Amino acid sequence: MFFLPEVILEARDIEFEYPDGTKALRGVSMGIPKGKKTAVLGPNGAGKTTIFLHFNGILKPTKGKIRFAGRDICYSHAFLLELRKNVGIVFQDPDTQLFSASVLQEISFGPLNLGLSRENVLRRVNQAMAATEIVELKDRPTHFLSYGQKKLVSIADILAMQPTVLICDEPTAWLDPGNAARIMDLFDRINQEGVTIIFSTHDVDLAYSWADYIFVMNQGLVAGEGIPEEVFQNESLLKEADLNKPWLIDVYDELKRKRWVVADMPPPKTRQELMSRISNSP
Amino acid sequence: MLRIDQYAYSNRLRFTHPVEKFAFAVITLIIGLAASSLITSLVITLLMAGVVILRAGIPMRFYLKLMSIPMSFLILGVLTIAVSFSGEPFSFLWGVKIWGFTLGVTAGGLQTAVNLFWKSLGAISCLYFLSLTTPMVQIISVLKRLKVPSLFIELMNLIYRYIFVLIETADKVYISQSSRCGYASIKTSYYSMAQLASNLFTKSYHNSQMLYTTLMARCYRGELNVLELPYAFSKKNVALVAFIDLGLVILALWTGGVLSAGGHS
Repeated sequence: MFFLPEVILEARDIEFEYPDGTKALRGVSMGIPKGKKTAVLGPNGAGKTTIFLHFNGILKPTKGKIRFAGRDICYSHAFLLELRKNVGIVFQDPDTQLFSASVLQEISFGPLNLGLSRENVLRRVNQAMAATEIVELKDRPTHFLSYGQKKLVSIADILAMQPTVLICDEPTAWLDPGNAARIMDLFDRINQEGVTIIFSTHDVDLAYSWADYIFVMNQGLVAGEGIPEEVFQNESLLKEADLNKPWLIDVYDELKRKRWVVADMPPPKTRQELMSRISNSP
Repeated sequence: MLRIDQYAYSNRLRFTHPVEKFAFAVITLIIGLAASSLITSLVITLLMAGVVILRAGIPMRFYLKLMSIPMSFLILGVLTIAVSFSGEPFSFLWGVKIWGFTLGVTAGGLQTAVNLFWKSLGAISCLYFLSLTTPMVQIISVLKRLKVPSLFIELMNLIYRYIFVLIETADKVYISQSSRCGYASIKTSYYSMAQLASNLFTKSYHNSQMLYTTLMARCYRGELNVLELPYAFSKKNVALVAFIDLGLVILALWTGGVLSAGGHS
C-alpha cells in the first residue's frame, strides 16, 4: 500500500445536527493516516469544517465516535485539554483567531495554556516565528499586518503548541500564489518532522500534487477516498462532488490519447514530472 | 485616532520601558493639576511638546493639529468662567450694563480663566505624550503591573484588537454599498446606514462566537494568559524623569506661593 495503515484520528459514523436543525454530518467515517498529508475536498457546506471541529473536541457528535491514537475521546475537561494539545486547528479567517494586538503575545497564548514555564513558552514562540518566517513581525501590531501575514501568525499560533496533528481549514484561500506556496512549503517541512497534516481546499491541483491521501465530502457524507491518482480518475465521484479534474491529469490523458507519451505509467504528480516525461518521450 | 495609534508604534520612544513613560506622564499630570501657578502649566505644556516633537520624533505639524482639537472646547469652557455677571460694577475691567447689572470680565475671573486654560492644556499634553509614545499593548501591560483586575485587562485587550476588525469590516460594507449607489441620496443613505449598523452587529456577534471557538481550540480555560513583553529599564531615563518632575514640583511650590509668603489658597 502507498501509506502505512496506522490511523491517528478516526471518525466513526459521525452524525451532527446544529441547534438550528441543519444536519451537517450524516454518518461520516474517516481514518486519517498518521504522519501523512491528507486533503479534504468538497463543495461549500459539505461538512469539512464541521468534521474538523469534531476532531478537536469543540463539537460533540449527536451520534458516533471520534478516536484519537486508538482511544475513544471522552468529553471531560482534562481529556479535551490533552486532545487539543495534540490536535491543533488553524481557522480559515485569521481575524477571528487573532485576539491580541501583539504578535508575540498572540502566539504565546496556546503554549501558556499548556502550563509550560515562561522561558519554555518564549522558546516555543521564537521557534514558531522562525518556522513561519515572521520573526520580523514580532513588534508589529496585529492590525498593521496584511492578510497573508495574519495567516502566517495564525499558523504560528498553533505550531507553538507543537501538536502531533495540524488541521488547517482552507489554508490557501484568498492568498496570492507566492504566499500560498510559502504556506505549503511550511506544511511540507512540518510534515517531515512527523506531524500529521489535514487540510481542506477547493484547489484540486493543489490537493492532487500535494496530498498523500484524499477524502471527498459531499452533503455531510464522505463520498469517496483514496490516494490522489485514484480519486481523480474516478469520474462519477468527481461529478457527484462537483470537482474538476486536475489539469495535470487532463493534459496527461490527452497526451496519452495522442500517443505522445508512454501510456503505461501512472499520471505525473507535478509540472516538472510532466515536462520531463514529454521531453523523454520517443 | 488611527494616526495616533500609528505614531505610537513608530515613534522613537516606542521601545522605552512603558513604566518609565507611564510614570513620566502621570506624575507630571498630577503635578500640573495640583500646582496653582501659571508658570508650571506653561512649562509642562512646552516640556511635553518638546519631548514629543524632539525626543519621540512626532512631526510638529501633526502635534499642533492634535493640540488644536481640544481648543474649541477649551475656549468655550474658559469663556464662561472669564465672563461674570454682577450688580457690583466697580470690580469689572470691562463690561456692559444691562438694567443696572454688569456683564463683563473681572480681574479675578480673567486670571482664573487663563490659569485654567493652561492647566488644561498642560494636562492634555501629558496625555498626548502617553498616547503618542506608548502603544496600547504597553499601556495595558503597565495596568497589569498595577494589579488592575484581569477582567478589565482582558476586555481592554479584546476591545482594542477588535476595534480595528470592526473598522475594517465597516469599511468593506461601506465600499460595497456605495459601489451600488447606496449613498446616492439622503433617503438611500439613511437606509444603507441602518443596514450597515445591523450588519455590523450580526457580524460582530458571529465573530465573537467564532473567537470563542478558536480560543477553545487552543485550550482556553477562562483566562487570556499571554507572555509579558520584555523591556529593559534605563537608569538614565528613570533619573531624568525623577529630575524633571522634582524640578517641576519645586517650580510649582515656588511660583504657586507656598514657598514664598503664604500664598492665596
